[in-house]
Amino acid sequence: MKITDTVRRAGRSLRNAKARTLLTSLAIAVGAFTLTLSLAAGEGSRQYAEKIITSNIDPQALIVAKDKSLFGADAGAGGLKEYSEGTTQYAGLTLKSLSQAELDKIKKTEGIERVQPSYLVKAQYVEFESNDKKFTSDITMYDASVRAESAAGSLPALGEQIKDDEIIVPQGFLKTIGIDNPADLLGKKVTFTLVKPAPTPSEAEINQIIATEGAAGLAKLAQGETTKETFTVRTVSKDSVTSLSASSALFISENRAKELSEFLTKGTKDYQRYIAVTAIAKDSADPEKVKEALVKQGLTARTAKDLQGLLFTIVNLLQGIVAGFGVLALIASVFGIINTQYISVLERTQQIGLMKALGMRGKDVAKLFRYEAAWIGFLGGVIGSGAAWGLGTLLNPWITKQLSLGDGNYLLVFQVIPVIVLIVALMLIAVVAGYFPARKAAKLDPIEALRTE
Amino acid sequence: MIELKQVTKTYGKKQNAFTALDNVSFMIPDGASVAILGKSGSGKSTLMHAMSGLDRPETGEVIIDGEDILKLKTKQIDKFRAHKIGFIFQSFFVQANETVSDNVSLPLEIAGVARSTRKKKITAALESVDLLEKIGNKAKNLSGGQKQRLAVARAIVNEPQIIFADEPTGNLDSVTGAKVEDMLFAYNKEKGVTLIIVTHDPDLAGKCDMQINIKDGKIESIRDLKKTPATAPTTTRIKVGM
Repeated sequence: MKITDTVRRAGRSLRNAKARTLLTSLAIAVGAFTLTLSLAAGEGSRQYAEKIITSNIDPQALIVAKDKSLFGADAGAGGLKEYSEGTTQYAGLTLKSLSQAELDKIKKTEGIERVQPSYLVKAQYVEFESNDKKFTSDITMYDASVRAESAAGSLPALGEQIKDDEIIVPQGFLKTIGIDNPADLLGKKVTFTLVKPAPTPSEAEINQIIATEGAAGLAKLAQGETTKETFTVRTVSKDSVTSLSASSALFISENRAKELSEFLTKGTKDYQRYIAVTAIAKDSADPEKVKEALVKQGLTARTAKDLQGLLFTIVNLLQGIVAGFGVLALIASVFGIINTQYISVLERTQQIGLMKALGMRGKDVAKLFRYEAAWIGFLGGVIGSGAAWGLGTLLNPWITKQLSLGDGNYLLVFQVIPVIVLIVALMLIAVVAGYFPARKAAKLDPIEALRTE
Repeated sequence: MIELKQVTKTYGKKQNAFTALDNVSFMIPDGASVAILGKSGSGKSTLMHAMSGLDRPETGEVIIDGEDILKLKTKQIDKFRAHKIGFIFQSFFVQANETVSDNVSLPLEIAGVARSTRKKKITAALESVDLLEKIGNKAKNLSGGQKQRLAVARAIVNEPQIIFADEPTGNLDSVTGAKVEDMLFAYNKEKGVTLIIVTHDPDLAGKCDMQINIKDGKIESIRDLKKTPATAPTTTRIKVGM
């Protein structure tokens, strides 16, 4: 018997039992629906994550640190740690930090174009011209390698720094400052009050100061040094959903950030020590190779790709969970197919007997039932995937709005090829499910079958 | 030519064993019309199954065209049935949900006949049983007589050498039954096809060239009606079982 004839006969048998065929394939459709959605959500999330990373991070940039726990699994582990010279407190953690000498060594590593430490300025308080209250805020350097968006005022071209007397204020601060329109803040003055902690004098130094300046001198020493720095607001940066850059800090130029940070730490053990630096690889160098070279120096480094991998791991995990439900639905539907096909064999005992009496081979009879199962799988796959596709496309704008993904970004990205692969896989699963009923049909004795009245 | 040599078929095992065919031997010449007569349970259906390759007796030979079909592999027997045998059953066994055309098409599809030649053969077969105008109808919409004529068309469509008819008129009234009988005999004469009818209707058996009476799995008598209307099996063409 020719395959086309078998397929046609299989299709005809299914059409003769429309309700049963449809109900059986709906069970598969549930699985197909879930799997199609999980495929689409996975693809959408990956595309979205990639978009965020490529639009925010220079692919040639590496974040380099000395302490592995900054990236590692035990990051955030506080508590008791062995003391070592050259550690820095960061967010309550004691982390090994990089010294200026190590920084120079990184600079000399092959393939590295430049190294950019991130300077943190710990101001006592911050004042805005339009408000007489005092605030606290993180102050850090403007990162020229990261693209930002502006709500008011202009931003320098990528790779260029802002001027030394300029400051960028994130849009999120406006509410606290008490300003509604971002443009109102442009040109206004921002003042930092910086207090340099008093150095800890030795006993000999204390004795000397008392001897030369008396008690007044000692009091002056204990007070530390206070200075005020004033900046002009250049730009109000926009809170962007696709922006990873810290939108919760005030940005000043690299020079000033370095200067102020060093002013504050001079004489302390934190002077010229950095938890992490950003290294930019040369355009011709492979960031992965540079990373290897840095690791050999006993440092840890994280590339844009690593960050992408981390995000993808999360996406894949979530996708796996959704797909798991789809697979469960499919397993349930497999039993549905087996049951339906067994009933079909029983119902058509006479027909099978006739076909075998007329010389149809057992394997052709089995094929007939397997193709029927494949048709059911196909139908279920098309219904499920089609429904998921249609519904997903319909809901995408709403999901984007609910999750604030930004215009043009969709959570569900449907692709033709994975869906086709899915449908083919479902057909195969259905065929496997139809194996035992098909075998039963193939083994039917035509004499017995034709005796059935 | 169909020749059976000492064919024995037993069902069941040991104490429960039941001998359906007991050492049966005879010969049927090509183009003959043969009636196998016997009461129910006499073994006449088993005999038909043995001759058509549906059943495999344990001992003996069933020689068709010089070949012992009992020695063939399943695949070859299937092929033999698909190409050389046509079947007609008492309860028609037409596929009710399929069209008349699809019903007749089945043996051709099984035999692997090309689609282009099928159409012509189906039309010819339906024409010879006077059902051409029903070609697109569903088989369930046909009357009993029409269904059996459809079964005849299905049996002859692939131009078999032998047609087995198991009580072909058993479920029909005498008028429609007679029409089906006439068709079968006409086809038998016209094409020289061997026609083997299993029946307990003596009138139908009387229209055949040859009668094989079977009782309790044994051949009781064989009569050649064409040559000698008498009871004695004297012709040289027929070898009576021992």
